[in-house]
Amino acid sequence: MTVATARIQPADAAACARAVAEAAGASRTLRIRGAGTKDHIGDLLPTDAVLDTTALAGVVAHVPADLTVTVAAGTRFADLRDALALAGQFLPLDPPYADAATIGGIVAANSTGFWRARYGGVRDLLIGTTAVLGDGTIARSGGRVVKNVAGYDLNKLFVGSLGTLGVIVECTFKVLPRPPVSAGAHARFKRGADAFAVADAIVRTSARPAALAISGGPDSAWELLVQADGDAAPVARTLDLLDQAARTHGASAQRHDGVPAVLETLNEVSIRAEGTVVRAALPLAAQPAFAAAAARLEGFTQLVADAASGIVRVALRGEDAVVLGGTDALLAAAHVCGGSARVERRPESLRARLGAWGDAEPAGRFLMHRLKEAFDPRGILEPGRSAAG
Amino acid sequence: MTVRAGLRGAALVSGLTDLLGEDKVLGTREDLLIYEYDGAVDTATPDAVVLPIDTTDVAKLSRFCHQHGVPIVPRGAGTGLSGGAIPVEGGVVVSFARMSRILEIDVANLRAVVQPGLVNLHLSTAAAPHGLYFVPDPSSQKACTIGGNVAENSGGPHTLAYGVTTNHVTGLEIVLSDGTVVRLGGKAVEYEGYDLIGAFVGSEGTLGIVTEVTVRLTPLPEDKRTILAAFPTMDGASETVSAIIAAGIVPSAIELMDQLATEAVEAAVGAGYPLDAGGILLMEVDGLRDGLDDAATRIEDICRANGATTVRRAATTLERDRLWAGRKGAFAAMGRLAPAYYVQDGVIPRTRLPGVLRIVREVAERHGVRIANVFHAGDGNLHPLILFANESELEGVKQAGLEILEACVAAGGSITGEHGVGMEKNCFMPLQFSADDIATMGRVKAVFDPAGLANPGKIFPTPSRCREFQLAARR
Amino acid sequence: MTGYPNIDAPSPELLQRCVHCGFCLPTCPTYAVLGVEMDSPRGRIRLMETVWQGRVEVASDPFERHMYGCLDCRACETACPSGVEFGKLMEGARSQIEAARPRSLSERLVRLAAFHFLLPRPAVLGTFAHFSVLSKRFGAAAVLRAIGTRVGLAGRLAALLDLVPDRASSRALPATYSAQGSVRGRVALFTGCVMRAAFADTNAATARVLARNGFEVIVPETQTCCGALHAHAGERGDARALARSNIASLEDLEVDAFIVNAAGCGAALKEYGWLLKDDPAWSERAARFASRVKDASEFLADAGLTAAPGPLRARVAYDDPCHLLHGQRVREQPRALLAAIPELQVMPLVEADWCCGSAGTYNVTQPELSAKLLERKVGHIMRSGAELLVTANPGCQMQIAAGLRASRAPVEVVHLMDLLDRAYAQRGSDTGAG
Repeated sequence: MTVATARIQPADAAACARAVAEAAGASRTLRIRGAGTKDHIGDLLPTDAVLDTTALAGVVAHVPADLTVTVAAGTRFADLRDALALAGQFLPLDPPYADAATIGGIVAANSTGFWRARYGGVRDLLIGTTAVLGDGTIARSGGRVVKNVAGYDLNKLFVGSLGTLGVIVECTFKVLPRPPVSAGAHARFKRGADAFAVADAIVRTSARPAALAISGGPDSAWELLVQADGDAAPVARTLDLLDQAARTHGASAQRHDGVPAVLETLNEVSIRAEGTVVRAALPLAAQPAFAAAAARLEGFTQLVADAASGIVRVALRGEDAVVLGGTDALLAAAHVCGGSARVERRPESLRARLGAWGDAEPAGRFLMHRLKEAFDPRGILEPGRSAAG
Repeated sequence: MTVRAGLRGAALVSGLTDLLGEDKVLGTREDLLIYEYDGAVDTATPDAVVLPIDTTDVAKLSRFCHQHGVPIVPRGAGTGLSGGAIPVEGGVVVSFARMSRILEIDVANLRAVVQPGLVNLHLSTAAAPHGLYFVPDPSSQKACTIGGNVAENSGGPHTLAYGVTTNHVTGLEIVLSDGTVVRLGGKAVEYEGYDLIGAFVGSEGTLGIVTEVTVRLTPLPEDKRTILAAFPTMDGASETVSAIIAAGIVPSAIELMDQLATEAVEAAVGAGYPLDAGGILLMEVDGLRDGLDDAATRIEDICRANGATTVRRAATTLERDRLWAGRKGAFAAMGRLAPAYYVQDGVIPRTRLPGVLRIVREVAERHGVRIANVFHAGDGNLHPLILFANESELEGVKQAGLEILEACVAAGGSITGEHGVGMEKNCFMPLQFSADDIATMGRVKAVFDPAGLANPGKIFPTPSRCREFQLAARR
Repeated sequence: MTGYPNIDAPSPELLQRCVHCGFCLPTCPTYAVLGVEMDSPRGRIRLMETVWQGRVEVASDPFERHMYGCLDCRACETACPSGVEFGKLMEGARSQIEAARPRSLSERLVRLAAFHFLLPRPAVLGTFAHFSVLSKRFGAAAVLRAIGTRVGLAGRLAALLDLVPDRASSRALPATYSAQGSVRGRVALFTGCVMRAAFADTNAATARVLARNGFEVIVPETQTCCGALHAHAGERGDARALARSNIASLEDLEVDAFIVNAAGCGAALKEYGWLLKDDPAWSERAARFASRVKDASEFLADAGLTAAPGPLRARVAYDDPCHLLHGQRVREQPRALLAAIPELQVMPLVEADWCCGSAGTYNVTQPELSAKLLERKVGHIMRSGAELLVTANPGCQMQIAAGLRASRAPVEVVHLMDLLDRAYAQRGSDTGAG
């Protein structure tokens, strides 16, 4: 993959700023890397050096009753999870590769899992960011309070920026008390449309399950998995609602203690699946048709949907031409129905022929280019990696 | 007031009239006087007012202003509390009173597409037959507009659990200050590339003008429980807030009101708040019906354990509506106590509530002013309402407000939680942010509005108006 | 000239109540239609302030345009958390325009005819109403409208004629109606000039319904016009003269309440105390009198019905008269009375709390805006699915009926008291007392 000639590992924001400023001065390009769990995302061009964030580690501040936590960006998500658990709290994110991934990487890659359904995604939980811009400027946005409209909300710009706008060095999140009860159930359907219809019925209630995931393959049944968090009574009711809805579609729901483990596996489809994975963000009602179109594709191996949010991942495998054709079809379908899509994973053999972002230009791309120039005037940070530049 | 070079006066008005037609342009002295205020205390008279009916009008107008160096200041219902709609550097006020339609309620996708002048509550009313609503519920929701909510990233009592405006916007059509129309996002939860919507929401009109908004609609809760608890002291009430959170309960709203605020509210709406309490908490839990009574009972037990003298659960929808009407009418009800008020909007970590509220009391005593408190305690978002009678007191009142904000920042908080920085607190930005932080925001500003014509004089400290503040800070 | 000419001016104390929060904006019909701040309650209050500040002149065209552009429906008062008494401010502001501004001869003639001659003289107004009905039958409105395109006054008269009901009733009522069943009290019926001239049947129905419920009703002959239209038009001197006359002739009557079935009159009578507050000889008497005034629905619902109405199988919608809902804060009582009629199906009416555009003389002075509001109202009524539109004010009744006629909507407009009277008639006379 990339051949990096140098490795920088700053231990604090100031050191990071110096390192970036130096690189900018020398026009040396940088890859920003934590645990290295996201190398498959985006178009990776070779860089002159790797900036390793893992020494920027540790919980900076956590006042449990304030329901906020400030953490250095190189901290492993798992370490933060353990620290919060001591106070009976959690950061309600279920990113893929949770054991290895770092906080900075999760933010930069917008690594949101199924829990978005109830708790929101990275953009909804991140309330403060300190980042080092491409010229070495240390810029803070937001703060440590849960509500804050002072100045522009730059947090949002760093979420999903894949390191192209700045090196995230510190983040503050909203956290929550761990729910008293968490329970899972699943139902199996012959047709994908039925699974989506049942998920939609739940989405339209105020049950707010933690996760509503759908998984299907070319030969297997379509499975709907639900995780419900909260007090015992609403959790039980949520699973009842699922059963009722499933019954109107010729199925029934069963309690399933293994739901969290299955969700974790599904979450990591982009790395576990062999071949190519397209990730689409769709208007909710477009999911069934998109899924049906995906299932008809030659080379279709798996579909995983966060049905409450309209995030659908489709894995394809086969001859290059088959995969390329299928990928084009999926990217186009996502755009046609008002969503967007990217190629989240492709085999090395296809890297040259299959870009991460497809042909469609994101709306407002000229603004994104200007923004990149403003934050990284020398263009040293993760050049070419994101859809925005 | 900084008056910029560029087209002004009668020439500007006649130019705009030629461009857009007589119906859409106001330019007489009397008419312009009536656009010099909003919901707060600052005033400035515009050079012209334009009433567009569609995006094309806004784009034409922006191109014209860009060509002639004229600032553009968007205005929704003029309910803002930081002077966001005040043309502090002159120019054209763009009123969205005639762009107030719901373009689409997309039930299948749980979205609505609306024009910026739509009144917040009108959206929820229209969505209700579908079992849906728009979550952000600022206290002014009967009057404020969605465009204004986007500009200010408005909150409201129920954003404690469900998020503020930025968490509920998925698409925007914006017009840049040079007239370029850009459509961002749509009905999906996110799009590839940078989250420009996230940067735009809360930018107070300084990055451009919103002409269309796509928002999330949320299923209405199946049921709610609303609880009022009265405490002998504000300390008791504010400590209870932390106790509830510490018990692992996150209600959908926790509002706090002191005795002075209660007095005004009772005079205005007769909400049924006890007048003898030092502090009153108004709390709500909602969602599926199941378990709501248990959750409410746990909250009530915590209130009693923390010294609540009265704990009451609304028995009927009517009673709940009355309790909320009191809270939502609280700011305006200050008219019962004094001719004017100046409201601050600082945020603190909620565990610091008791201490900072004591500082607020000290500030009131030091300045000899009355301060009523009614605020989003669950979020730690204070709203001290400093009462005063006439213009001559305003300087002292603003000083008192500044001292409160300094206390908020010192406690690790923010100068504004939902009202925005506007022209009212732009000089205070350095309290919270370093020069580099502010300059970084300036880079974003330059990306969207290189000409600097989009609502100038807001958010960023301006040399002319902030010099005095900087001198004071140095002393 | 700067400032205001006299003591009736909108006072700084009342103006100060406004904290310009903007809650009134979405409730203001003229703001909804025009979308400009000057035609919103907050903007009008600001304009009144700018006169005190010497920045705008009371005799200027913009000031008059925006003050008279107001419907005076007072929806903003209901919406206002600060308790701004907008009706008082508006009447005060208009009185200052009348004091400061010379009017054209034709305008003065119309005002003279309406305010000095027609309204205070019920008998003459009755004749006028009958003439109007006749002229309408002969197609006079069409002729006037044709002329009206060139002559403003004729156009306005045509608009007025459109409103006149097809049948007008102005026969005199008996002096008393005896209570049926056990006697619960005694009330005086305020018959009103327009009510008396064009809706005498409604007055009779009101008296019958009260009598059915155990109240003796007297109909004092000495009463005159309440002066509401005068006050709304800034003619406070005339309004005061009428108020004094009414108080003097009615205050000594031994009755529990003065019952009004016209919301506009009721609101005006209840504000006599304010109207005469600066007249030491009358202020106290006026306040006392005002406190005894009750809307018929308010009085009946608060007292409780002792006689059960008969069933009416119909779909009805209730439209709040502004001066009942906003002017007198009577909302629940009319609805409670409707709910008391068996089998009556009450349909929800969108914007029932919005002005229909009648607003006293607004439909004559601002015909275009009035027509827009009427169109909006008629649309909501037609979509409500109601066959009967119930309201409680003659101006609204005429306006809405005219609008429904013009749209050929098969909806009858009926006063709440007439509807109750019909329900009792269904029941027959045998079950009157309980």
